Amino acid sequence: MNSKMIEVVNLKKSYGSNTVLKDISEVVEKGQVICIIGPSGSGKSTFLRCLNVLEQPSDGKVYFEGNELTNISENELNILREKMGMVFQGFNLFPNMNVLENVKLAPMKVKNKTVAEAEKMATGLLEKVGLADKAKQFPSSLSGGQQQRVAIARALAMDPEVMLFDEPTSALDPEMVGEVLKVMRNLADSGMTMIVVTHEMGFAKEVADQVWFMADGYIQEIGTPEEFFKEPKTNRAKEFLDKIL
Amino acid sequence: MNMNILKKMTALLMLALAILFFAPFMQTKAVASESSSSSSSVSSTTDSSLSDVKKKGTLVVGLSADYPPYEFTAKVNGETKYVGIDIEIARKFAKDLGVKLVIKNMDFDSLLVALETHKVDTVISAMNPTSERRKSVDFSNIYYTGGKYIVINKKDKAKYKNKDSFENKTIGAQTGSLEYNLVQKQMKGASVKGLAKLNNLIIALQSGKVAGVLMEEATAKAYVSNNSNLYAFNAKMNVDTNETGAAMAFSKGSTTLVNAANKTISKLKKENVINKKYVPNAAKYMKSTSKNNTMISYWTYFAKGLEYTLIITVISVFFGFLLGIILALMRISNAKILHTLAVMYIEFIRGTPLMVQVMFVYFGIGALIQSLPALAAGIIAVSLNSAAYVAEVIRSGIESIATGQTEAARSLGMNQKQTYRYVVIPQAIKNIWPALGNEFITLIKESSIVSVIGVGDLMYQTQLVQSATYKGVLPLFITMMIYFIVTFTLSKFLNYFEGKMKHEQ
Ligand SMILES: Nc1ncnc2c1ncn2[C@@H]1O[C@H](COP(=O)(O)OP(=O)(O)OP(=O)(O)O)[C@@H](O)[C@H]1O
Ligand SMILES: [Mg+2]
Repeated sequence: MNSKMIEVVNLKKSYGSNTVLKDISEVVEKGQVICIIGPSGSGKSTFLRCLNVLEQPSDGKVYFEGNELTNISENELNILREKMGMVFQGFNLFPNMNVLENVKLAPMKVKNKTVAEAEKMATGLLEKVGLADKAKQFPSSLSGGQQQRVAIARALAMDPEVMLFDEPTSALDPEMVGEVLKVMRNLADSGMTMIVVTHEMGFAKEVADQVWFMADGYIQEIGTPEEFFKEPKTNRAKEFLDKIL
Repeated sequence: MNMNILKKMTALLMLALAILFFAPFMQTKAVASESSSSSSSVSSTTDSSLSDVKKKGTLVVGLSADYPPYEFTAKVNGETKYVGIDIEIARKFAKDLGVKLVIKNMDFDSLLVALETHKVDTVISAMNPTSERRKSVDFSNIYYTGGKYIVINKKDKAKYKNKDSFENKTIGAQTGSLEYNLVQKQMKGASVKGLAKLNNLIIALQSGKVAGVLMEEATAKAYVSNNSNLYAFNAKMNVDTNETGAAMAFSKGSTTLVNAANKTISKLKKENVINKKYVPNAAKYMKSTSKNNTMISYWTYFAKGLEYTLIITVISVFFGFLLGIILALMRISNAKILHTLAVMYIEFIRGTPLMVQVMFVYFGIGALIQSLPALAAGIIAVSLNSAAYVAEVIRSGIESIATGQTEAARSLGMNQKQTYRYVVIPQAIKNIWPALGNEFITLIKESSIVSVIGVGDLMYQTQLVQSATYKGVLPLFITMMIYFIVTFTLSKFLNYFEGKMKHEQ
């Protein structure tokens, strides 16, 4: 009925006197793929981390499926976070566990799945990201692209409603970017709601339903990829695109 | 930090801390009220010391078993036993009371504290009833009197003729003993060196650290008869006859128990049993041990000591580790009270010597829990000590884990507790493994301090071997080698695993 997946209202975030997010109010609909682009230091990561309250907003509200995340107990928040998968620039795999253990840990400990259930699901997800044969390897023996695909599988193992990606390919060697983007594209095709902070304009053009341009603590402009990349409305966006394209 | 787990975990720690801090004060209060009641009323009406002993069916006797012929250890049919004049008197006393005899062997200095904290019912340890001691404990009548002798190296026989020939020399005496005071008061120009164990004083004598050792007549004669390099002569000290003899000590106000002791003593005196039977018996044991003082025949002492040392260390490392994790989590927690408590605890423990902590736990907590055995007290003290050090190691380990790990875990829906338990701590432990291994090795060595409260660890057994064999340095050397072999092997072993673990990563 309600197709709003995430809604932020007058979101503000400051670190001391440095106000990073000034006033953001936006809605993400179920099934949408949003790409957030913008200059370095403009608050993209901070915004994403406010969505699953890894970072506590200074002011304003964040809703997820109608629940006000900024005003609930720690316990409820933990339960809702399960449904918001997150993938980090630096992968953040658990280095002391092998690939399979990385993927099945949270389902077992948080969702109380049995070893057999968790293992079956984890194996399935590893197949989906093309890494079934690496199940018993440790993260340190994998390439960056492989590690990031494991991280995606690990997030998917909690069966999330939305996936948050924070520059998932910017720490990768160029030849590995493709394999990760391919996994993400498949995910988008399967109908997953996704919010992706990225510098991969090609991916944004091809996959995004909306591009949000962020600068100076505001979402400056929202448009379809065609609109945004052909005819940006704001000067701030024009400058940015001129610089990177 | 997650408040729930921490609350539970800290409750335990707070309890331990509270006991640690308040136990001694509660004890002081109890003693104070006890002594005031006994001085203000006719003591026999309130004193239950005799009936208490009869009720529990045991007479716990404290003594320092390194003082032949009064009390020492000897091997009887391959078994180590406490023997000597005082042991026989204690046995007779227990028999007269109709209860079982239990002997607690500890440092001479600790005996009176043990009495005051009711760890023992009486001290029968060739103790002189000085007026100073009478202030804090009650004494029975004197059961045996001997003069004071000075033991010297035989080669100095011509040099030292009487107690006045020691000007500008150092005389050894047992710390806390009457002899110690006598050296200070009646040997003009001589300075005194105090050690807890007579064995060590004899070592000091033989290595020239002291010119002579002042001790009780019977003991002096025992040393001389077992070591042909030693010589002893009567110091002819001017002492109050009432203070030279040996008497049994009791905690203040134990009138009924003192009376019972006096009954036993007068019986012994009437029949002259001590001179006729107990002294010759003791001499027999001393001969039998001196015949048999090769180190190999004492290997069971060392083995048992090592066993205790390892038991103490392993258990202490285990609990120290658990408590250390709790302290570390408290210290990095956001809750101010928990953080402050942990910091205070860690700083306090690291700022006080382990030896003091061991004695404090034994006599302090022991004041509340009478039956707390020395071994348990030792383990508690060493664990509490180790926890502070482990906590700091773990904290640095936790802080070395990148925040990305926590964020990844939290974004998967894990709560704080799960994040620590499954993600942060396993990695932290892997990082701090070498430091923890070092802590284990350190504890093997440091735990030797528990010997001061009479726990039978390696160091303590060494002292028994010293007193049984009249040899000072060799047992120490053997013990040193045992410690070294164990710690060296262990550190090689840990290095091997560390290397292996790095390899796997
Ligand atoms: N924990 C923090 N404490 C203080 N300041 C912070 C913190 N995290 C971020 N900032 C500041 O907030 C601002 C925005 O940072 P953020 O990481 O959100 O930018 P970004 O748009 O993701 O940049 P990039 O493209 O480089 O990743 C920066 O000025 C940064 O210094
Ligand atoms: Mg960023």
